[in-house]
Parts: sequence; C-alpha cells; structure tokens
Amino acid sequence: MAFDPTQKILIVDDMSTMRKIIKNMLRKMGCNNIHEANDGIPAWELLVQAHEAKDPFQFIMSDWNMPGMTGLDFLIKVRADERFKALPFLMVTAEGEQTNVITAVKAGVSNFVVKPFNIITLQEKIIKIFGK
Amino acid sequence: MTMLQDPEMEDVVIEFCDESDQLCQELEQILDDYEEDLTQTALLENFGQIIDRIMGAAKSLDAELVGRYCELGKIVSYKASQTTDVQLLEIVSATLFDTIDILNSIFKNIRTNKEEKVDGIGLNAFASRLKWLSEKFNNIQRSSVAVEEQTQGQESIDNLLNELGL
Repeated sequence: MAFDPTQKILIVDDMSTMRKIIKNMLRKMGCNNIHEANDGIPAWELLVQAHEAKDPFQFIMSDWNMPGMTGLDFLIKVRADERFKALPFLMVTAEGEQTNVITAVKAGVSNFVVKPFNIITLQEKIIKIFGK
Repeated sequence: MTMLQDPEMEDVVIEFCDESDQLCQELEQILDDYEEDLTQTALLENFGQIIDRIMGAAKSLDAELVGRYCELGKIVSYKASQTTDVQLLEIVSATLFDTIDILNSIFKNIRTNKEEKVDGIGLNAFASRLKWLSEKFNNIQRSSVAVEEQTQGQESIDNLLNELGL
C-alpha cells in the first residue's frame, strides 16, 4: 500500500510544540487529515472511535516518552488488538537507545525516527513504511 | 536565519516557550520537594522525564543550547537517582536549580530577541559544569540513561533497524 496524503494520520505526543512541528511537516507533504492526542490513553480512544465510525486511522506517529501511557505501551496495546495489528506505527524518540529500539521492534513498530528530524527524513521513513 | 528567527515558525516558537515555562515550573516544584528529602530519588527520575520533553522539542527547533542543557540535566538527574551519595546529591540539586533558572532566562530571551543567550552568564561554562557533574556518575549504568554509551543517531538506528529486518 503506497502512502496517500489524504490518509488519516494520528500524532501522539505530550508536547504540543512537537505535535505542531510534525503537523507542519506533514502538511508540507500534502497531508491534511491529521489528528492529535497528548498521550497513549486519549490516542487509544480516538483510534477505537475512528474504527467504530468506519473512518479508521491509517498511520500513527507516536512519541516514546509520555506520561500516562508511554509510546511503547501504546504500541503494545495497538498490536494486541486484531483490528490494528497491521496499522503503520512510526515511533518518535529524542534518543535512539539500542535497547529501546529492539524492544519496540519486538513489539511490532513499523519504524523509528530520532528527534530532531527534518521533513526529508520523515518522508523517507513514510516511504519505507508504506513502500513495503 | 535559524528556526527560532523564522517568521513562519513564530507561533511554534512562542508555544514552545510557553509550554517549556510550564514544564520548568513543574521541574522547580520537583526540586523543591526533593530538597526537603534527598532520599526521594524517584523525584529525580521524574525530573529527567519532564526535562526530556523540553529537550525533544528544543532540538527540533534548533534551540541547540536549550537542547544541550536539557540533555545534560536529564543525564545528571537520571544518574543521580541511582546514587545515595548525599554530598553529591546536594550539588546535583543546586545545579539543577541553576539549570532551570538559566533555561527560564533563555526562554525569555528567545521570546524577546529570538536568540539563545543570557547576558552575564557564561553558558558554555555552565554546560561544562553540568557535563563535569554528569561524569561524576560514570560508574552508574542503566540502559535507559546510559546516553554516552548507547544513544544512537538516526543513521545508527537505521543500521540497527536494517539488521533487525525493518
């Protein structure tokens, strides 16, 4: 499945600044169906609601370090649900620590992007995820 | 022109300063609580998690100095949470208070002058002090905080992801 900018995207980050930065990058890539949550708990609610409303999300970008529900816990919850098993999930982190990467890969992450990143890196990651 | 000076980024930069101000207040409260009882090292771990949030956004906005202070503050607080050396913890507490003061001053200056500088303070000297302090904990290792040894940039992470089949 190739990436389509009209796809419904969920950004999960506790820093609204980061959500805005990512949103700006995605908008520059032509995306306009972008939704936000400030940690894994509201993100999960949005995900389920959207699925039940038959307007599901097609891509998640989630921060790793968040209060409430961390990015890893959110990923594990997403992958444990049959409905979201194959949903592309890009993890965003301030530090790419080897052990975290391995844990996330085992949990089913689609890819990893390390902050700070630019639009080119984000595009490459998205192409890699959707190009599979 | 840096991202901090880019008119297109003005809203994001202001929001970053506002959000960071709030987080700095939380950090100050944590340090106030911690100062009352230096054995509550879990508070330092909490400090590390909060300052990490500022760090990620700062680095993304090319606020290099803020990012560097936050990174060092994170290393110091996490590693200090693993020690029981009270004398060292007193230094940690005082230094982290100074870090927050300096961050507050930098945010103020970013707002008014769109620059990361503070008159009358040797920012690089202070960064060296933080680094010196972080090195006092070199014997302490923990996977989530062993930044120097295990933190990877995007390229190394991509190599690792390739090896893992992604």
